[in-house]
Amino acid sequence: MRISPFHNQFAAAEGSRAVFADRFGSEIVSRVSDAATEYRFVRDAAGISDFSFMQRFRFPEEKGLDFLDSLCAGNVVKLRFGRMLHTFLSDPNGNLVADCYIANNDEECILLCESIIDDEALKKTLIGCGAENAGMEDLSESHAVLSIDGYKAWSVAKDLFGPDVLGLPYLSIERYDFKGAAVSLFRAGKTSEFGYLLLVPQGNAAELFEACEASAKKVGGGLCGVDIHGDLRLEGRFFNIFAEGAAVLDPLSLGLQWMIDFNKEKFVGREAILARRSGGLTHKIIGVSSAAGDGLMKKGAPIYHGPDKVAEVVASCFSPALSRFVGLALFPLPLAFAGLSFCLGSAGGPPVETISMPPIMPKSLTVKLDEM
Amino acid sequence: MAESFQATIDKRAAVINTFKTELIRRLNLPYTPEDLHEDVALLGAGLGLDSLDALEIVLCIENSFGIKIPDQNIAVLRSINTVVDFVLAEQAAQEANK
Repeated sequence: MRISPFHNQFAAAEGSRAVFADRFGSEIVSRVSDAATEYRFVRDAAGISDFSFMQRFRFPEEKGLDFLDSLCAGNVVKLRFGRMLHTFLSDPNGNLVADCYIANNDEECILLCESIIDDEALKKTLIGCGAENAGMEDLSESHAVLSIDGYKAWSVAKDLFGPDVLGLPYLSIERYDFKGAAVSLFRAGKTSEFGYLLLVPQGNAAELFEACEASAKKVGGGLCGVDIHGDLRLEGRFFNIFAEGAAVLDPLSLGLQWMIDFNKEKFVGREAILARRSGGLTHKIIGVSSAAGDGLMKKGAPIYHGPDKVAEVVASCFSPALSRFVGLALFPLPLAFAGLSFCLGSAGGPPVETISMPPIMPKSLTVKLDEM
Repeated sequence: MAESFQATIDKRAAVINTFKTELIRRLNLPYTPEDLHEDVALLGAGLGLDSLDALEIVLCIENSFGIKIPDQNIAVLRSINTVVDFVLAEQAAQEANK
Protein backbone atom coordinates (compact mmCIF):
# COMPACT_ATOMS: atom_id res chain seq x y z
CA MET A 1 0.00 0.00 0.00
CA ARG A 2 1.24 3.51 -0.85
CA ILE A 3 1.32 5.32 2.49
CA SER A 4 -0.17 8.81 2.75
CA PRO A 5 2.54 11.49 2.84
CA PHE A 6 0.40 13.26 5.44
CA HIS A 7 -0.15 10.21 7.67
CA ASN A 8 1.80 11.63 10.61
CA GLN A 9 0.31 15.11 10.31
CA PHE A 10 -3.28 13.86 10.31
CA ALA A 11 -2.58 11.36 13.10
CA ALA A 12 -0.92 13.98 15.30
CA ALA A 13 -3.24 16.92 14.63
CA GLU A 14 -4.93 18.48 17.64
CA GLY A 15 -8.04 16.52 18.58
CA SER A 16 -7.53 14.12 15.69
CA ARG A 17 -9.33 10.79 15.69
CA ALA A 18 -7.85 9.93 12.32
CA VAL A 19 -8.97 6.68 10.72
CA PHE A 20 -6.87 5.35 7.86
CA ALA A 21 -7.98 2.91 5.18
CA ASP A 22 -6.89 1.32 1.92
CA ARG A 23 -8.41 2.61 -1.31
CA PHE A 24 -7.22 0.67 -4.34
CA GLY A 25 -3.71 0.33 -2.92
CA SER A 26 -3.36 3.85 -1.54
CA GLU A 27 -3.70 4.79 2.09
CA ILE A 28 -6.43 7.35 2.65
CA VAL A 29 -7.37 9.41 5.68
CA SER A 30 -11.00 8.30 5.89
CA ARG A 31 -12.06 10.42 8.82
CA VAL A 32 -10.45 12.90 11.16
CA SER A 33 -13.39 13.74 13.42
CA ASP A 34 -17.13 13.14 13.18
CA ALA A 35 -18.99 13.47 9.88
CA ALA A 36 -21.12 16.41 11.06
CA THR A 37 -18.06 18.47 11.99
CA GLU A 38 -16.26 17.73 8.74
CA TYR A 39 -19.41 18.49 6.76
CA ARG A 40 -19.77 21.88 8.48
CA PHE A 41 -16.10 22.68 7.85
CA VAL A 42 -16.70 22.45 4.10
CA ARG A 43 -20.21 23.88 3.85
CA ASP A 44 -19.49 26.81 6.22
CA ALA A 45 -15.71 27.33 6.24
CA ALA A 46 -12.77 25.40 4.78
CA GLY A 47 -11.78 21.75 5.02
CA ILE A 48 -8.26 20.46 4.41
CA SER A 49 -8.10 16.91 3.07
CA ASP A 50 -5.35 14.59 1.95
CA PHE A 51 -5.96 13.77 -1.72
CA SER A 52 -2.65 11.99 -2.24
CA PHE A 53 -4.60 8.87 -3.19
CA MET A 54 -4.89 10.56 -6.59
CA GLN A 55 -2.39 9.16 -9.06
CA ARG A 56 -0.41 11.92 -10.71
CA PHE A 57 1.75 12.10 -13.79
CA ARG A 58 3.61 14.77 -15.71
CA PHE A 59 4.20 14.86 -19.47
CA PRO A 60 6.10 17.34 -21.61
CA GLU A 61 3.45 19.36 -23.42
CA GLU A 62 4.66 18.65 -26.98
CA LYS A 63 4.08 14.91 -26.55
CA GLY A 64 1.67 14.89 -23.64
CA LEU A 65 -1.33 16.56 -25.28
CA ASP A 66 -1.46 14.12 -28.18
CA PHE A 67 -0.87 11.11 -25.97
CA LEU A 68 -3.52 12.09 -23.43
CA ASP A 69 -5.91 12.87 -26.28
CA SER A 70 -5.48 9.33 -27.60
CA LEU A 71 -6.02 7.96 -24.09
CA CYS A 72 -8.93 9.86 -22.53
CA ALA A 73 -12.46 10.50 -23.77
CA GLY A 74 -12.36 14.30 -23.79
CA ASN A 75 -10.80 16.59 -26.34
CA VAL A 76 -7.35 17.17 -24.85
CA VAL A 77 -5.69 18.75 -27.89
CA LYS A 78 -8.00 21.75 -27.59
CA LEU A 79 -6.98 22.29 -23.97
CA ARG A 80 -5.69 25.84 -23.67
CA PHE A 81 -2.71 26.96 -21.65
CA GLY A 82 -3.60 27.43 -18.00
CA ARG A 83 -6.78 25.38 -18.19
CA MET A 84 -7.94 21.94 -17.10
CA LEU A 85 -10.17 19.33 -18.64
CA HIS A 86 -12.37 17.00 -16.63
CA THR A 87 -12.69 13.70 -18.46
CA PHE A 88 -12.22 9.97 -17.91
CA LEU A 89 -10.16 6.95 -18.85
CA SER A 90 -12.00 3.78 -19.74
CA ASP A 91 -10.86 0.26 -20.55
CA PRO A 92 -11.17 -1.24 -24.06
CA ASN A 93 -14.69 -2.40 -23.13
CA GLY A 94 -15.71 1.18 -22.48
CA ASN A 95 -15.96 0.74 -18.72
CA LEU A 96 -14.63 3.39 -16.37
CA VAL A 97 -11.12 3.09 -14.99
CA ALA A 98 -10.29 6.61 -13.81
CA ASP A 99 -11.87 10.02 -13.36
CA CYS A 100 -9.24 12.40 -14.71
CA TYR A 101 -8.22 16.01 -14.56
CA ILE A 102 -5.79 17.00 -17.31
CA ALA A 103 -4.06 20.36 -16.91
CA ASN A 104 -2.01 22.25 -19.45
CA ASN A 105 0.53 24.31 -17.58
CA ASP A 106 3.46 26.07 -19.16
CA GLU A 107 5.43 23.41 -20.99
CA GLU A 108 3.91 20.41 -19.29
CA CYS A 109 0.67 18.50 -18.92
CA ILE A 110 -0.37 17.08 -15.59
CA LEU A 111 -2.70 14.10 -15.29
CA LEU A 112 -4.49 13.67 -11.95
CA CYS A 113 -6.45 10.44 -11.59
CA GLU A 114 -9.03 9.10 -9.19
CA SER A 115 -8.96 5.50 -10.30
CA ILE A 116 -10.56 2.23 -9.30
CA ILE A 117 -7.41 0.28 -10.04
CA ASP A 118 -4.16 0.44 -8.08
CA ASP A 119 -1.01 2.38 -8.97
CA GLU A 120 0.68 -0.54 -10.65
CA ALA A 121 -2.30 -1.48 -12.81
CA LEU A 122 -2.89 2.13 -13.85
CA LYS A 123 0.74 2.66 -14.72
CA LYS A 124 0.74 -0.58 -16.70
CA THR A 125 -2.32 0.64 -18.59
CA LEU A 126 -0.70 3.99 -19.38
CA ILE A 127 2.57 2.39 -20.46
CA GLY A 128 0.63 -0.09 -22.61
CA CYS A 129 -0.87 2.90 -24.43
CA GLY A 130 2.54 4.48 -25.06
CA ALA A 131 3.05 6.71 -22.02
CA GLU A 132 6.79 6.15 -21.89
CA ASN A 133 7.22 7.38 -25.44
CA ALA A 134 5.23 10.45 -24.42
CA GLY A 135 7.74 11.19 -21.66
CA MET A 136 5.56 10.26 -18.69
CA GLU A 137 6.96 11.02 -15.25
CA ASP A 138 5.18 9.45 -12.28
CA LEU A 139 4.75 12.01 -9.49
CA SER A 140 2.91 9.70 -7.11
CA GLU A 141 5.94 9.21 -4.84
CA SER A 142 7.69 12.55 -5.38
CA HIS A 143 4.68 14.82 -4.82
CA ALA A 144 1.73 15.02 -2.44
CA VAL A 145 -1.78 16.39 -3.01
CA LEU A 146 -3.79 18.48 -0.55
CA SER A 147 -7.36 19.54 -1.19
CA ILE A 148 -8.87 22.75 0.18
CA ASP A 149 -12.65 22.82 -0.08
CA GLY A 150 -15.33 25.02 1.32
CA TYR A 151 -17.36 28.18 1.34
CA LYS A 152 -14.23 29.99 2.52
CA ALA A 153 -11.60 27.84 0.82
CA TRP A 154 -10.70 30.90 -1.23
CA SER A 155 -9.50 32.55 1.98
CA VAL A 156 -6.99 29.76 2.61
CA ALA A 157 -5.74 29.87 -0.98
CA LYS A 158 -5.44 33.66 -0.74
CA ASP A 159 -3.46 33.39 2.53
CA LEU A 160 -1.04 30.98 0.91
CA PHE A 161 -0.56 32.46 -2.53
CA GLY A 162 -1.94 36.00 -2.53
CA PRO A 163 -5.06 37.64 -3.95
CA ASP A 164 -4.31 36.53 -7.53
CA VAL A 165 -5.90 33.15 -6.79
CA LEU A 166 -9.31 34.82 -6.46
CA GLY A 167 -9.37 35.54 -10.18
CA LEU A 168 -8.73 31.96 -11.26
CA PRO A 169 -11.70 30.48 -13.11
CA TYR A 170 -13.04 27.01 -12.37
CA LEU A 171 -10.88 24.34 -14.03
CA SER A 172 -7.69 26.31 -14.27
CA ILE A 173 -4.11 25.69 -13.15
CA GLU A 174 -1.48 28.10 -11.92
CA ARG A 175 1.95 27.60 -10.44
CA TYR A 176 2.92 29.41 -7.23
CA ASP A 177 6.01 29.64 -5.11
CA PHE A 178 5.66 28.33 -1.58
CA LYS A 179 8.81 28.91 0.46
CA GLY A 180 11.01 28.17 -2.51
CA ALA A 181 9.02 25.21 -3.82
CA ALA A 182 6.88 25.19 -6.96
CA VAL A 183 3.30 24.31 -6.03
CA SER A 184 0.74 23.67 -8.74
CA LEU A 185 -2.70 24.95 -7.80
CA PHE A 186 -5.70 23.43 -9.56
CA ARG A 187 -8.94 25.37 -9.23
CA ALA A 188 -11.31 22.45 -9.19
CA GLY A 189 -13.32 20.76 -6.46
CA LYS A 190 -16.32 18.45 -6.42
CA THR A 191 -18.20 19.62 -3.33
CA SER A 192 -20.04 22.50 -5.07
CA GLU A 193 -18.17 24.90 -2.77
CA PHE A 194 -14.85 26.56 -3.68
CA GLY A 195 -12.15 23.96 -4.26
CA TYR A 196 -8.41 23.90 -4.81
CA LEU A 197 -6.02 20.97 -5.26
CA LEU A 198 -2.38 21.63 -4.38
CA LEU A 199 0.36 19.49 -5.91
CA VAL A 200 3.46 19.95 -3.78
CA PRO A 201 6.90 18.29 -3.69
CA GLN A 202 7.09 15.79 -0.82
CA GLY A 203 9.89 17.75 0.85
CA ASN A 204 7.61 20.77 1.29
CA ALA A 205 4.38 18.90 1.99
CA ALA A 206 4.54 19.06 5.79
CA GLU A 207 5.13 22.81 5.82
CA LEU A 208 2.30 23.41 3.34
CA PHE A 209 0.00 21.22 5.43
CA GLU A 210 0.72 23.31 8.52
CA ALA A 211 0.08 26.56 6.66
CA CYS A 212 -3.21 25.23 5.23
CA GLU A 213 -4.42 23.94 8.58
CA ALA A 214 -3.58 27.21 10.36
CA SER A 215 -5.33 29.27 7.69
CA ALA A 216 -8.41 27.03 7.67
CA LYS A 217 -8.69 27.35 11.45
CA LYS A 218 -8.73 31.14 11.11
CA VAL A 219 -12.03 30.91 9.21
CA GLY A 220 -13.52 28.22 11.45
CA GLY A 221 -12.45 25.24 9.36
CA GLY A 222 -10.17 22.30 9.93
CA LEU A 223 -9.09 18.87 8.80
CA CYS A 224 -11.39 16.52 6.92
CA GLY A 225 -11.21 12.90 5.89
CA VAL A 226 -11.93 11.62 2.43
CA ASP A 227 -15.19 9.88 3.36
CA ILE A 228 -17.10 13.13 3.84
CA HIS A 229 -16.25 14.06 0.26
CA GLY A 230 -18.46 11.18 -0.89
CA ASP A 231 -21.44 12.81 0.82
CA LEU A 232 -20.51 16.30 -0.37
CA ARG A 233 -20.17 15.12 -3.96
CA LEU A 234 -23.51 13.39 -3.85
CA GLU A 235 -25.28 16.45 -2.42
CA GLY A 236 -23.74 18.56 -5.19
CA ARG A 237 -24.29 15.83 -7.82
CA PHE A 238 -20.63 15.73 -8.71
CA PHE A 239 -19.56 12.44 -10.23
CA ASN A 240 -17.90 10.07 -7.74
CA ILE A 241 -16.01 7.20 -9.33
CA PHE A 242 -15.65 5.51 -5.95
CA ALA A 243 -19.44 5.35 -5.46
CA GLU A 244 -21.79 5.34 -8.45
CA GLY A 245 -18.84 5.09 -10.87
CA ALA A 246 -17.56 1.79 -9.43
CA ALA A 247 -21.11 0.44 -9.13
CA VAL A 248 -22.26 1.21 -12.69
CA LEU A 249 -19.04 1.52 -14.74
CA ASP A 250 -20.82 2.54 -17.97
CA PRO A 251 -20.13 6.26 -18.56
CA LEU A 252 -23.32 6.64 -20.62
CA SER A 253 -25.63 5.27 -17.93
CA LEU A 254 -23.80 7.53 -15.48
CA GLY A 255 -24.57 10.59 -17.59
CA LEU A 256 -20.93 11.37 -18.37
CA GLN A 257 -21.48 12.09 -22.07
CA TRP A 258 -20.34 15.66 -21.39
CA MET A 259 -16.86 14.28 -20.69
CA ILE A 260 -16.69 12.66 -24.13
CA ASP A 261 -15.81 14.09 -27.52
CA PHE A 262 -17.82 11.75 -29.74
CA ASN A 263 -16.13 13.18 -32.85
CA LYS A 264 -12.64 12.11 -31.80
CA GLU A 265 -11.12 9.32 -33.83
CA LYS A 266 -9.34 7.67 -30.96
CA PHE A 267 -9.56 7.08 -27.24
CA VAL A 268 -9.44 3.91 -25.18
CA GLY A 269 -12.86 2.23 -25.21
CA ARG A 270 -14.21 4.45 -28.00
CA GLU A 271 -15.65 1.65 -30.15
CA ALA A 272 -17.45 0.02 -27.23
CA ILE A 273 -18.89 3.32 -26.02
CA LEU A 274 -20.01 4.38 -29.50
CA ALA A 275 -21.64 0.98 -30.03
CA ARG A 276 -23.59 1.33 -26.79
CA ARG A 277 -24.57 4.85 -27.75
CA SER A 278 -25.82 3.68 -31.16
CA GLY A 279 -27.75 0.83 -29.59
CA GLY A 280 -29.57 3.26 -27.32
CA LEU A 281 -29.37 3.64 -23.58
CA THR A 282 -31.51 1.24 -21.52
CA HIS A 283 -30.80 2.55 -18.00
CA LYS A 284 -29.48 5.66 -16.33
CA ILE A 285 -28.85 6.94 -12.84
CA ILE A 286 -31.11 9.57 -11.36
CA GLY A 287 -31.41 11.24 -7.98
CA VAL A 288 -33.57 9.75 -5.25
CA SER A 289 -34.53 10.99 -1.82
CA SER A 290 -36.23 9.38 1.14
CA ALA A 291 -37.00 10.14 4.74
CA ALA A 292 -36.62 6.43 5.48
CA GLY A 293 -34.22 5.72 8.32
CA ASP A 294 -30.64 4.68 8.04
CA GLY A 295 -30.13 1.15 6.86
CA LEU A 296 -32.77 1.23 4.13
CA MET A 297 -31.35 3.81 1.72
CA LYS A 298 -28.06 2.12 0.97
CA LYS A 299 -26.10 0.80 -1.98
CA GLY A 300 -27.89 -2.20 -3.48
CA ALA A 301 -31.29 -1.35 -1.97
CA PRO A 302 -34.08 -2.28 -4.37
CA ILE A 303 -36.72 0.22 -5.48
CA TYR A 304 -40.21 -0.99 -6.32
CA HIS A 305 -42.99 0.29 -8.53
CA GLY A 306 -46.06 -1.60 -7.39
CA PRO A 307 -45.03 -5.24 -7.01
CA ASP A 308 -42.08 -4.96 -9.38
CA LYS A 309 -38.46 -4.21 -8.56
CA VAL A 310 -37.54 -1.52 -11.06
CA ALA A 311 -34.31 0.06 -9.82
CA GLU A 312 -31.44 -0.18 -7.39
CA VAL A 313 -29.68 2.40 -5.23
CA VAL A 314 -26.02 2.80 -6.28
CA ALA A 315 -24.95 5.57 -3.91
CA SER A 316 -26.47 7.25 -0.88
CA CYS A 317 -25.84 9.48 2.10
CA PHE A 318 -27.70 11.47 4.70
CA SER A 319 -27.95 15.09 3.63
CA PRO A 320 -27.73 17.47 6.60
CA ALA A 321 -28.86 20.29 4.31
CA LEU A 322 -32.08 18.47 3.41
CA SER A 323 -32.49 16.40 6.59
CA ARG A 324 -33.22 13.44 4.34
CA PHE A 325 -31.35 10.63 2.70
CA VAL A 326 -30.33 11.32 -0.87
CA GLY A 327 -28.88 8.96 -3.39
CA LEU A 328 -28.55 7.86 -6.95
CA ALA A 329 -30.35 4.86 -8.38
CA LEU A 330 -30.11 3.05 -11.69
CA PHE A 331 -33.50 3.20 -13.39
CA PRO A 332 -34.78 1.84 -16.70
CA LEU A 333 -35.11 4.70 -19.16
CA PRO A 334 -38.95 4.82 -19.27
CA LEU A 335 -39.02 5.47 -15.50
CA ALA A 336 -35.90 7.65 -15.23
CA PHE A 337 -37.64 10.95 -14.46
CA ALA A 338 -37.65 13.22 -11.44
CA GLY A 339 -40.92 13.79 -9.63
CA LEU A 340 -42.09 10.19 -9.24
CA SER A 341 -42.76 8.17 -6.11
CA PHE A 342 -41.69 4.56 -5.57
CA CYS A 343 -41.20 2.21 -2.62
CA LEU A 344 -37.84 1.58 -0.99
CA GLY A 345 -36.60 -1.83 0.06
CA SER A 346 -39.73 -3.83 -0.73
CA ALA A 347 -43.11 -3.56 -2.43
CA GLY A 348 -45.08 -1.48 0.02
CA GLY A 349 -41.90 -0.18 1.66
CA PRO A 350 -41.43 3.46 2.68
CA PRO A 351 -41.70 6.05 -0.09
CA VAL A 352 -38.68 7.11 -2.09
CA GLU A 353 -38.97 9.96 -4.58
CA THR A 354 -36.98 10.60 -7.71
CA ILE A 355 -35.60 14.13 -7.56
CA SER A 356 -33.86 16.76 -9.63
CA MET A 357 -30.18 17.08 -8.90
CA PRO A 358 -28.36 18.86 -7.44
CA PRO A 359 -30.80 19.11 -4.55
CA ILE A 360 -28.96 21.80 -2.57
CA MET A 361 -27.96 25.39 -3.24
CA PRO A 362 -24.40 25.88 -1.94
CA LYS A 363 -23.49 29.16 -0.29
CA SER A 364 -20.44 29.48 -2.52
CA LEU A 365 -22.66 30.25 -5.51
CA THR A 366 -23.73 33.48 -3.87
CA VAL A 367 -20.22 34.78 -3.05
CA LYS A 368 -19.17 37.81 -5.09
CA LEU A 369 -15.58 38.68 -5.89
CA ASP A 370 -15.76 42.00 -4.04
CA GLU A 371 -16.80 40.16 -0.88
CA MET A 372 -13.60 38.13 -0.81
CA MET B 1 -48.94 1.84 -14.60
CA ALA B 2 -51.42 4.32 -13.11
CA GLU B 3 -52.54 7.07 -15.48
CA SER B 4 -51.41 9.93 -13.23
CA PHE B 5 -48.00 8.33 -12.90
CA GLN B 6 -47.62 8.05 -16.68
CA ALA B 7 -49.13 11.51 -17.14
CA THR B 8 -46.45 12.94 -14.85
CA ILE B 9 -43.77 11.25 -16.94
CA ASP B 10 -45.27 12.41 -20.23
CA LYS B 11 -45.57 16.01 -19.08
CA ARG B 12 -42.00 16.12 -17.83
CA ALA B 13 -40.63 14.31 -20.89
CA ALA B 14 -42.26 16.85 -23.20
CA VAL B 15 -40.64 19.81 -21.41
CA ILE B 16 -37.28 18.02 -21.26
CA ASN B 17 -37.30 17.22 -24.97
CA THR B 18 -38.27 20.74 -25.98
CA PHE B 19 -35.62 22.31 -23.75
CA LYS B 20 -32.82 19.94 -24.77
CA THR B 21 -33.53 20.32 -28.47
CA GLU B 22 -33.57 24.12 -28.22
CA LEU B 23 -30.48 24.18 -26.00
CA ILE B 24 -28.49 22.09 -28.47
CA ARG B 25 -29.67 24.20 -31.41
CA ARG B 26 -29.05 27.59 -29.83
CA LEU B 27 -25.65 26.77 -28.32
CA ASN B 28 -24.57 24.48 -31.14
CA LEU B 29 -23.68 21.73 -28.68
CA PRO B 30 -22.05 18.61 -30.18
CA TYR B 31 -24.58 16.28 -28.57
CA THR B 32 -27.91 14.65 -29.26
CA PRO B 33 -30.78 15.15 -26.77
CA GLU B 34 -30.21 11.58 -25.57
CA ASP B 35 -26.60 12.49 -24.71
CA LEU B 36 -27.62 15.16 -22.24
CA HIS B 37 -28.38 13.76 -18.82
CA GLU B 38 -31.01 15.87 -17.11
CA ASP B 39 -28.81 16.38 -14.04
CA VAL B 40 -25.76 17.59 -15.96
CA ALA B 41 -24.55 20.96 -14.68
CA LEU B 42 -25.19 23.69 -17.23
CA LEU B 43 -22.72 26.29 -15.99
CA GLY B 44 -19.14 25.80 -14.77
CA ALA B 45 -18.72 22.05 -14.29
CA GLY B 46 -20.52 19.67 -16.64
CA LEU B 47 -21.35 21.35 -19.93
CA GLY B 48 -19.09 24.20 -18.86
CA LEU B 49 -21.22 26.96 -20.31
CA ASP B 50 -20.31 30.58 -19.54
CA SER B 51 -22.25 33.71 -18.62
CA LEU B 52 -23.06 34.52 -22.26
CA ASP B 53 -24.44 31.03 -22.69
CA ALA B 54 -26.50 31.60 -19.53
CA LEU B 55 -28.22 34.54 -21.25
CA GLU B 56 -28.94 32.31 -24.22
CA ILE B 57 -30.47 29.70 -21.90
CA VAL B 58 -32.71 32.35 -20.33
CA LEU B 59 -33.87 33.40 -23.82
CA CYS B 60 -34.33 29.76 -24.76
CA ILE B 61 -36.69 29.25 -21.81
CA GLU B 62 -38.59 32.47 -22.56
CA ASN B 63 -39.05 31.63 -26.22
CA SER B 64 -39.79 27.94 -25.81
CA PHE B 65 -42.19 28.15 -22.89
CA GLY B 66 -43.19 31.81 -22.62
CA ILE B 67 -41.79 31.94 -19.11
CA LYS B 68 -39.42 34.56 -17.72
CA ILE B 69 -36.74 33.71 -15.18
CA PRO B 70 -36.51 36.30 -12.42
CA ASP B 71 -33.22 38.19 -12.24
CA GLN B 72 -30.69 36.75 -9.81
CA ASN B 73 -32.42 33.36 -9.81
CA ILE B 74 -29.27 31.43 -10.62
CA ALA B 75 -30.56 28.33 -8.85
CA VAL B 76 -32.87 27.67 -11.81
CA LEU B 77 -29.97 27.34 -14.24
CA ARG B 78 -28.03 24.71 -12.32
CA SER B 79 -29.10 21.70 -14.41
CA ILE B 80 -31.59 20.70 -17.09
CA ASN B 81 -33.75 19.17 -14.36
CA THR B 82 -33.80 22.38 -12.31
CA VAL B 83 -34.86 24.31 -15.42
CA VAL B 84 -37.59 21.75 -16.08
CA ASP B 85 -38.80 21.95 -12.45
CA PHE B 86 -39.08 25.72 -12.82
CA VAL B 87 -40.98 25.50 -16.12
CA LEU B 88 -43.41 22.88 -14.78
CA ALA B 89 -44.03 24.91 -11.62
CA GLU B 90 -44.68 28.08 -13.65
CA GLN B 91 -46.99 26.21 -16.04
CA ALA B 92 -48.91 24.79 -13.08
CA ALA B 93 -49.21 28.27 -11.56
CA GLN B 94 -50.48 29.68 -14.86
CA GLU B 95 -53.04 26.87 -15.10
CA ALA B 96 -54.21 27.55 -11.59
CA ASN B 97 -54.66 31.25 -12.33
CA LYS B 98 -56.82 30.65 -15.40
